[in-house]
Amino acid sequence: MGRTGNPARLAIALAVAGCLAVFLLYTSFFGGGRPALQPSALRQHPGQEVTLSGMVARRLPSVGAAARFRLRDVKGSDAVTVSYRDGLPDQFKVGRDISVDGRYANGVFVGKPGTMVTKCPSKYTDKKTT
Amino acid sequence: MPQLGQAALVLCLGLLGYAAIAGATAAYTRKRRLALSASNALIASFGAAVVASIVLAAALLRHDFAFTYVADHTSRKLPTLYTLSAFWGGQEGSLLLWLLILTGYSAGAVLLNRRSAPDLVSWVVPILGALGTFFAFLLVAVASPFSTQLAPADGSGLNPSLQNPYMLAHPPCLYLGYVGLTVPFAFAMGSLLARRSDERWIVSTRRWTLVAWTFLGVGQLLGAHWAYVEVGWGGYFAWDPVENAALMPWLAATAFLHSVMVQEKKGMLKVWNMLLVILAFSLSLFGTFLTRSGILSSIHSFTESSIGPWFLGFIAVVAAASIALVLSRLPILRSETKLESPISREASFLYNNLLLVALCLTVLWGVVYPLLSEAVTGTERVVGPPYYNFFLRAFGLPLLLLMGLGPLLAWRRASVKGLRRSFLWPTIVALATGAVLLAFGAGSSIPGLIAYTFSAFVLATIVEEFVRGTAARRATAGEPWATAFTSLVARNRRRYGGYVVHASIVLLAIGIAGSSAYDTVRQATLRPGQTLSAAGYTVRYASTGWREHRAQNAIEGRAPMTVTHDGHPDGTLEPGRNFYPAEQQASSEMAIGRNWLRAEDLDLVVQRVSPRSQAIELKMLVKPLVNFIWIAGFVFLAGSLIALWPDAREQRRLALRYREAGAVVRA
Repeated sequence: MGRTGNPARLAIALAVAGCLAVFLLYTSFFGGGRPALQPSALRQHPGQEVTLSGMVARRLPSVGAAARFRLRDVKGSDAVTVSYRDGLPDQFKVGRDISVDGRYANGVFVGKPGTMVTKCPSKYTDKKTT
Repeated sequence: MPQLGQAALVLCLGLLGYAAIAGATAAYTRKRRLALSASNALIASFGAAVVASIVLAAALLRHDFAFTYVADHTSRKLPTLYTLSAFWGGQEGSLLLWLLILTGYSAGAVLLNRRSAPDLVSWVVPILGALGTFFAFLLVAVASPFSTQLAPADGSGLNPSLQNPYMLAHPPCLYLGYVGLTVPFAFAMGSLLARRSDERWIVSTRRWTLVAWTFLGVGQLLGAHWAYVEVGWGGYFAWDPVENAALMPWLAATAFLHSVMVQEKKGMLKVWNMLLVILAFSLSLFGTFLTRSGILSSIHSFTESSIGPWFLGFIAVVAAASIALVLSRLPILRSETKLESPISREASFLYNNLLLVALCLTVLWGVVYPLLSEAVTGTERVVGPPYYNFFLRAFGLPLLLLMGLGPLLAWRRASVKGLRRSFLWPTIVALATGAVLLAFGAGSSIPGLIAYTFSAFVLATIVEEFVRGTAARRATAGEPWATAFTSLVARNRRRYGGYVVHASIVLLAIGIAGSSAYDTVRQATLRPGQTLSAAGYTVRYASTGWREHRAQNAIEGRAPMTVTHDGHPDGTLEPGRNFYPAEQQASSEMAIGRNWLRAEDLDLVVQRVSPRSQAIELKMLVKPLVNFIWIAGFVFLAGSLIALWPDAREQRRLALRYREAGAVVRA
């Protein structure tokens, strides 16, 4: 662009400023995301909506329509019971890494339906050492 | 065989390394014979990559489990096509595919340009050679697909989610897009190294950029359709980091394709275009890094890999070196003209660029936010779909409007008379559409209503452009309507191909708005004979209950359902679940009832089955207008092909322009 001032320069500056303002407003009003935690850190955030990640340690008997299982830290032994009232993803099974949104209350993490994602370990795994 | 594959990779590495070093020496010292030798080495590296690829493909097809890669990603029961698709189903194979495409593109770009722009190509060769050297080195030293083992009786199989026809097309399409962005990047950097201030690099790479951009776009739509029909949650895009990784370079490349027009026409935005091409290429590398580093949680879920740090280092070197090069060449990148009015074609391209880049950067911010928040606060935080959807509306709706405004504005300065002439009818059409939709209850979603009103405006401007152009041609050449129309498009392929692509984006917007803002979801447990209703549809689970049969590599279970709409029979659907014994894994098989007249889909997903009672947990989704998204894919491809199709007249004009102007070399 030319170095002298012109209306276009002003319009561009305003557009950029507008975009930044929208961004700042969004982050101010909507809080800029939720914590992503593993089970060991969950107890410090009771009642707060978080994304919980970990490895499925074992399945528990379902309660009504809610599937239940123990989720533990990927590299650790701390675990929490998770209740999830929705269809489990196809890849879900014991030993698999998952993440799910929800809240921790009364010793149980209640997952938000439709938010569980699983890791698919057969793709792009690191080279095996034999 | 594995030795042959490894030898081909080592040869490829040697040729690419030679192309980089000898090419740079030749370009610096202006030695033509050495430059020719370097470009020949670059072309030959494609041959070596082809040999390595044939060895891997043959090993896959022969089920040669002595290759560790083959044993890890296939099994004897895997159908042949999926066995072949395992080529890119794992890390080492997908890197080999990357190298194959990169060397293929490099050879093509050099062969097509080394006569017409020899001084530019002499710098492009070492850049392409250096970039290829990195990937060949990874394959030789870090992640070789040719490592061997004592052959097991059978392989581990391919992840059931990847056993899908889309696996044959979606990843290669994305790779063709990602890797294709290397060519404009190399020519841009080559132009700077050659100290050229003209637009020759843009002319040389316009089609390459369009090809890469088209593949990225089609690849993403294929992935969206794959997710829609296979994953079984009724959606098609989840703002997952890996999906975003493909979207970001596409957005940057879209901005680039628009802004280069301003540089070609007005000699402006030279620095901006350089930055955009660096951004697009760096983001394509960043996407590859994301899929291989395991650094972020993703539905595509890639475990941690030793390859991540290599990629991170490579991206840092590429970005730092290219930005340093741009800064060092700022004096030759000064604009030749300046913006005269904020209401002009070039200004609208600028606004479009700002919005596209803003959207791209906000997506990037969302992707890296977990890493940054953890680094700053010690607690990892994530942003979800509400964050992305907010910015999609904030930047996407004005972009949609600009698609209608920009192409009809005059270059330099738009007059009031011209504005009235161009926009009167589209404005009337848009307002009438908005009013009708409001009357029919579309006001339940304000963003949806705005999207449809803007869509009507853009479609009206596109139709108006085609009608005016055809009428003018008919009047001047005296041709019949059909002939006038085809010759109008044939003589202005870039312009009218662009309009068709714009129409596809409008269809995409209509599909996204309809299926996300006006959809209906119901879920219930059904026993044989029971029904579930939503949005006028009623589905009845057949009293015969759950049926199972054994296929080649899976046990397929199905729940026969009869469908009625407003009390009238509307066919049958069979949602179900497959179980893959080799992989010990299940997958849901969504049934889709597509109704073109009502322009909506009825999707049925079996989420759980109780074998004893034969009860199923059924999710029922009604998705209005979702098919516009897939139609948009075909229109997008058609528009891109029109814009890409070689035009002898344009070639002659460009050849004349650059012969007259000569190479503006400021050594």
